[in-house]
This record gives sequence, C-alpha cells and structure tokens, in this order.
Amino acid sequence: MKRLLIAAAAACVALLLLALSALAFGHDPRELLAILVRGSVGSPFAIAGTLLKSVPLLLTGLSVAIAFRAGVWNIGGEGQFIAGALAGLLGARYGVIVSLLAAMLAGAAWASLATAMRLWRNAPEVLTTILLNFIAIHLLGWCVNGPLQERAAQYPQTDAAAATLPALGSVHFGVVLALAASIGSWWLLYRTAEGLRLRATGLNPSAARWAGIRVSAQLARAMAVSGAAAGLAGGIELLGVTHRLFERFAAGYGYAGIAVALLAQLHPLAVVASALFFGALTTGAGELQRTAGISSGVATLGQAVVILVLIGVDYVRTRR
Amino acid sequence: MLRLEHIGKLFGAHRAVDDVSLTLDAGTIVAVVGENGAGKTTLMRIAAGELAPDAGRVASRGGVALVHQHFVLVNELTIAENLALGIDFRFATRRALERRAEAVIAESGIALTNVQRRVEMLSVGEKSKLELIKAIATKPSTLILDEPTAVLTPHEAEELFRVMRRLAASGTAVTFISHKLPEVMAVAERVVVMRGGRLVLDTRASDTNAESLARVMVASPPSPPPAHERARGEVALDREGLVLHAGEIVAVVGVAGNGQTELAARLRDALPDAGHIPEDRTRDGIVAAMTLAENLALKASRWNPRAAAKHAETMIALYSIRARGPLQRAGDLSGGNQQKLVLARELERKPRVIVAAEPTRGLDLEATRFVHDQLRAAAANGAAILLITSDLDEAFALADALHVIYRKKLSERLGRAEAAARVGKLMAGVA
Repeated sequence: MKRLLIAAAAACVALLLLALSALAFGHDPRELLAILVRGSVGSPFAIAGTLLKSVPLLLTGLSVAIAFRAGVWNIGGEGQFIAGALAGLLGARYGVIVSLLAAMLAGAAWASLATAMRLWRNAPEVLTTILLNFIAIHLLGWCVNGPLQERAAQYPQTDAAAATLPALGSVHFGVVLALAASIGSWWLLYRTAEGLRLRATGLNPSAARWAGIRVSAQLARAMAVSGAAAGLAGGIELLGVTHRLFERFAAGYGYAGIAVALLAQLHPLAVVASALFFGALTTGAGELQRTAGISSGVATLGQAVVILVLIGVDYVRTRR
Repeated sequence: MLRLEHIGKLFGAHRAVDDVSLTLDAGTIVAVVGENGAGKTTLMRIAAGELAPDAGRVASRGGVALVHQHFVLVNELTIAENLALGIDFRFATRRALERRAEAVIAESGIALTNVQRRVEMLSVGEKSKLELIKAIATKPSTLILDEPTAVLTPHEAEELFRVMRRLAASGTAVTFISHKLPEVMAVAERVVVMRGGRLVLDTRASDTNAESLARVMVASPPSPPPAHERARGEVALDREGLVLHAGEIVAVVGVAGNGQTELAARLRDALPDAGHIPEDRTRDGIVAAMTLAENLALKASRWNPRAAAKHAETMIALYSIRARGPLQRAGDLSGGNQQKLVLARELERKPRVIVAAEPTRGLDLEATRFVHDQLRAAAANGAAILLITSDLDEAFALADALHVIYRKKLSERLGRAEAAARVGKLMAGVA
C-alpha cells in the first residue's frame, strides 16, 4: 500500500517535471498541463481515446508484471504483441473468440522461445526477449510486404481482419477483457497456491527450490502467461482498433508496458490505474501536438521521467 | 607482534568471540582452526582493526594486514591499478604505475606477470596472489590470511606456503585460518583451536596431530555412548550409499567443505517429497520478503490468505515461534525463529524422510534443544532422518549411526561405539 502511494506521488512529480519541460518549447507549463488534461479526459471523445490507448498498455503492463513477479525479465512484450496480432489476423476468419485465443497462444509461444533458450543454453531472458522483438518486427515487415499484403497490393499493409470486436459505446469490448485479465492475474498471483509459489520463486529462487518448488517450471509458466497477455493485447488492438496490420503496428506498446508495470509496482490491480495514467498521457500528448505544436514525443518523455523518478525514490529508500 | 587481551564480541545475542587472549609473535606461523561460526574470522578482523571489540584490547607493534577469504579487488582495473589503490600519490602515468607495480611484485617474491591485465581476466589463483601482494606491499609486521588455500590448486598452495615461510623467516608474524588439517600440520609452527567463540587449545604443532585437532575442533565425542538401538522399520531411503530405516536418525559428520552441501542438494533434487532443512536457512530456508503465513504455505496445495493466517497462528504456537503474528515478514525473525519456521513447514506434513543439514548452526541453546526435540519426535513417529552436521556433539546426541564424509566420500556406516573410536581419524583423513 505504501509503495503504491509512493508510486502515485512519483507520477505526480513526473507530471510536474513534464510541465516544466514546456519552458523548453517556449510554452507556459500551466497551459501544457491544461491541454494534457483537456486532451485526455476533457470530453467524451477524449475519454474514449484514453480508454482505447489504455487497453493495450494494461495488457502489456500485466505481461511485464507477471514475468517480473516470477523474477524473469520479459522485455519482449513488443514481439509477443506482434506475434499475437499476426496469429489473431490468421484466426479471425473463424471468429473473434478463435482469433483472440490464437493471439494468446502465439504470444505465449513467442515468449516461450526465450524460456527454451534459457533451459537449453542458459541464455538470459533480458537478451533473448529483446532480440525476439527484432525478429518479430522484421517478420511483420516481411508479411505485410509479401504473403499477407492487401489484395490491392498498394500499401505495405494487410487486408482488414475478418472479425471485429463488438463495440461498447464508443470503445470496444477489449476494455472488459483487459479488466478481466487484470482481475484474473491478481487472483492467480494472490489467491492460488501456484501464484504463491510463483511469487516465492521471484523473490528467492534458491529458497523456493529448497521448499520443493520446481523453479524452471514456474519460470516457464510465468513466461507463457506473460506472453499470452502481450499476445492478447496485440489481438485486441488488431480486432478493436486498427483492423489491419502494418509495419509500425506495435507502436511501442510492448516497451511502454515496462513503464506501466513499474509504476504499478508490479501489482496486477494497480496496473489498471497505471495504464489509464499512461493512456491519458498518450492521448493528451496527441492533443498537445495538434493544438500547441508540441511533439507528441512528450508522452514517451513522460514514461521516462516516471521511471527515473521511481528509480530515484527507490534509491533514496534503500540508502536510508 | 600483536597481542589480543580478553577480546569479546557480541552480534546481537550471539557471542561470536568470548574472552580470547592470544599473542602472535614475530617470525612464527600460527594456524587458527575451528568450525564454521567458531569465531575465527571475527577474531582476526578484530586483530586487524576492522571490527571494534566489545571487550578487551588489541595491542600491536607495526601494521597488520588481513587478506580476506573473498577477493577485495576492482575487476575493471588492471593489476597495476589495483596495487596503486590506497597509495597516496598526486599524479602518475600508466607507465609509472606499471613500473611501480612490477617493483612491488618483484619485492614480494611472488610470480605474477603482465601487470597491465585487467583483474577480471585473471584466474582465481592469480587473484589470490594479487591479494597477497597487496597485503605484503604494506610491509605489515603481522600478516593474517583467511582460508588462503580455499581456492588454490595444490601447486599454488605450495607456492603460498613458501612465501609464508619466507615472510616468517624475515620476522613477520604470519597467521592463517584454515579448515584443512593436513596443511595446518605441514605449515604451522603453532596451532590455535577455536570453538563456539572461545579459544580451546593453543599448542605447538609438533605437540599435536590432525586427529586430535579434529576432535578438539568439534568438541570431544562422549565416552562410550549408551547403546540404544531403536526398533528398525522398513527401508525408507536408499541413495548415495546411505540406507536409512524408518524411525532412525543417521548422521553424516565431517569438517565443513567436504561435500556435505552437495550431498544435501542432490538429496533435495532426488527426494521432492522429503522434508528438507537447508544449512543456509536465511538464503535457502525462508523467503525473507514474504510473511510467515506465506512461507508456511509454500508446500501447501491451496492458498487462501485468511485460512493461511489462521493456520500460521497454530504453527506459531505449536513451534513456539517468537513473532508478532502471521503477517510479519519472515526476514525480520531472529535466526532461531527462522529455523523454527522452516521446521514447522518441513515437518508439518509428516514426511517419511527428513534431511536436516546443520539444523542448529548458530542457534542458541534453547533453540538448539527445541530443534533436537523436534527431530527426535519425528523419528519416534516413524520418519527416517538424515542429519548432516559438522557438530559431533549434535551427531552423538541424536544419531543411531554415523557416516563420516571426507573429500566427498562417505565412510561405511558406523555404530555409535565404533564411531566414537574412529570418527576423529576419519574426519581428518588420516585413517
């Protein structure tokens, strides 16, 4: 609880620092904050935009949180997101449910490649997952320029997926799925014996092994669930928002998930709030670009500042 | 020369060093031997001025250099740069540092070449040479080495002994901590034995032998023990050359570092259903960041916070764990209470086989007695217990039969009477 309060404070500090950065663009910090707020929650349209951005962030944030809880550094959300979307596109002809299941399976499989390399050659996940990202990005690039390119063969993109997520007002059903995933992850981690063992593995793998826990099985499972969450994010983004795949489809959601999870202190329920915060920041930054001519890169800057503030707070806390 | 007078040192309630007086004379090689946790390193750190004693005083003529068991080197720097650390200089070129390092090494009489190599590229043997050179470079009148041969090949160890003898011949007081009795007998002129923080023997090396040293290190085995063979049940464990029957306690004894840790780890992997009490309880026994309730539930088939808390309260009472409650962090418990927590988790499900490694190391008397009572009770209820310990008193207090482990090899099974007669020799590897 205390850690979450600290994280919330860190988010506020990050917002203030971000506002101060307006000075560098020749703007009033108060004006920047006002536009950010208006652009993200100032109208029903803005709120819908924030929600839509938050859904993939929530799921990739969960993905990172679950893996980190088990002590695995899954930096491969981006690749698992793409793998999920590709499988989702192929599965869409059999309907939404099959498409999303395929997306989860593909995300899990892509993440499990890193587990396999860990088990066979003791290759660290930090490296393998990030390298798998590049492979996935180029695989997607090849697909949209080759076998999966639209029938018109005009742009490097696919045809629209054969299925679409049901609408829910001005957002899509993915909002419900993401919330359910968050609650489901919380239940798995904090209300089941296997979740307890997964957390023990992350906190002290050596003691976990002595307590009879099969550590490598825990790691493999955590990685698969983590990959499934990121894959689901890709599938939902495809069926709910973009409807087709193109080269820059992943748009950094996988990496942004790291910031989301860290701000949420790796707690699956807090990930909801954290994803909303970053989702709002992203939509607000879009508004900044449109009305004030400030680069929407401000959103990425915001992510970086949050992480740096959190690291700073942790540093101060552990030094005392 | 260095004189320690009535030194005492407390860590919490644990008396690490208890009223020790010792004089290290110029020109003499002294070996300090004793079990893990006997207080050797603490005493030597006090001698070197790294720790302040709670009682007594340290008087030394000239400098004291202590070479730690673990390397204290900067991996990213070169040999020359590491040797320059702590030296007062204003400005030096790389070349000047290297020339100085070569001079220091030549003076030490230890062979170490290519001083521009970074430390991370060095072999373990070379790193320990560098540590030794660093210490000698300060021209100490007293040089203390903490288990200097632990990571050396026999050849490297011989080289080290030559350097130690030469330093002693030139008037340095040389002291080394060791577990290895053969090398103690080969190198030391005087042997000091510590046990439980006290100095229990101070003798000329020529007046003793490895066997009697081993016996003093781990306290004397009791005179002919009462013959009490429990009724044997069926075979519960048959592995690694160990055969255990239901209801009996068999001890594996030996000087630490003879393969006990590896044996326990192999049994852990081979026997997932057994109860395992690891020797390093803080690292392997508990998850420090989790609560008592969570730690107790690690082997459970279900997890429900409320039920787990209730269950934990029962276990806290049953195992008299001193804790604020089931939601306290396990890492905040004292060592004895952490061990009770591990016992509670491992014994609760009444496993047929229990492997307990150093179950009372570092515990106070009351906690030790509690652990022993629990193990006896488990055996009385039909569990086969393998007790891996370097504490002979403990082995004889609990075990029906003993094996000695020396250089990763187990002796045959010894009955209590036979063990009392032979265990010292077997532990020292002189049988």
